[in-house]
Amino acid sequence: MRRTVLSALALGSTIVLAGTVPAFADGPSPVPSTRPGAAAPAGPSPVPATRSSAPSAVPSAAPTRANGRGQVSVVPKGAPDTGVTAVSSSSGSEGGLIGGGAAAALVAGGAAVFVVRRRRATGA
Amino acid sequence: MTPLSRRAFATAAMACVLMGCAGHPNHRATTAPAVSTPPPPHAAARAVHPLGRSVPVGLRIPAIGVDTPVMQLGLAPDGSVQVPPIQADDRAGWYRQSPTPGQVGPSVLLGHVTVGAYGDGVFRHLARLHRGDRIVVRLENGTSAVFTVGDVRTVAKTDFPAQDVYGDVNRPELRLITCGGPRSGDGYLDNVIVFATLSSAAP
Repeated sequence: MRRTVLSALALGSTIVLAGTVPAFADGPSPVPSTRPGAAAPAGPSPVPATRSSAPSAVPSAAPTRANGRGQVSVVPKGAPDTGVTAVSSSSGSEGGLIGGGAAAALVAGGAAVFVVRRRRATGA
Repeated sequence: MTPLSRRAFATAAMACVLMGCAGHPNHRATTAPAVSTPPPPHAAARAVHPLGRSVPVGLRIPAIGVDTPVMQLGLAPDGSVQVPPIQADDRAGWYRQSPTPGQVGPSVLLGHVTVGAYGDGVFRHLARLHRGDRIVVRLENGTSAVFTVGDVRTVAKTDFPAQDVYGDVNRPELRLITCGGPRSGDGYLDNVIVFATLSSAAP
């Protein structure tokens, strides 16, 4: 009994150890074995490549930063006012035209009435 | 008891072996996306080399029929960005505190959507641009920088995304800005902003 239990324990632990050792060895081993073919540069590349691109971006961006400022050296305040509506600017002149026209028509009408009355008065 | 313990031992041993085998695919599954994610930034970074500094002198946007000279703009006394003058046949303007088109950074060009009594402005149809449309900026040194539209946004002026427009970026980009949205008094409540990236340079 004890022998069998002990031997079972020993065997079990050996198997567990044997299982874990390949796991450790297997961790790195697939990395070179699969990556040399397909992604050997990709294995190292994610880290160095992003780093190599990061430094390349930083120095290239740096020259545009005058005196340590941003690429846009002075950031404007607020939003750009890039539109003047036709309604407001033209409504002033159109309103003036309409008003002026109406006034002129009134004056002309009044003058005509006055002249007609005067003629009638003088004629009678 | 003995046969039972043997069976238990055998089951435990099989479980250990199976667990040992099953552990590795997970490892690969987790590393696989990490390997596949880097390429996009690589491809984008390799796409185009930044250009040297050269002031923009002309702008052409075939999709909306724009072909205009480009003037230079600075800051207004109130600290806002200057805009091109209100006149017939108005033109676009480049904010000279921003990088020139093709340099790394956001190059900012502005134009009117309408110019009061003169009618439509040079950027009247800017909001009609779509992702993938081409923008060609002629430079003072005789070359042209070709940009591709990536995004067109209409934003409230009260919530102008200054960081998105003027903030640092790691590649040559272009911003075209005009007004849009509902009208209010003699102006507009919104801004239309086109975000584009350098796609090529032509002599």
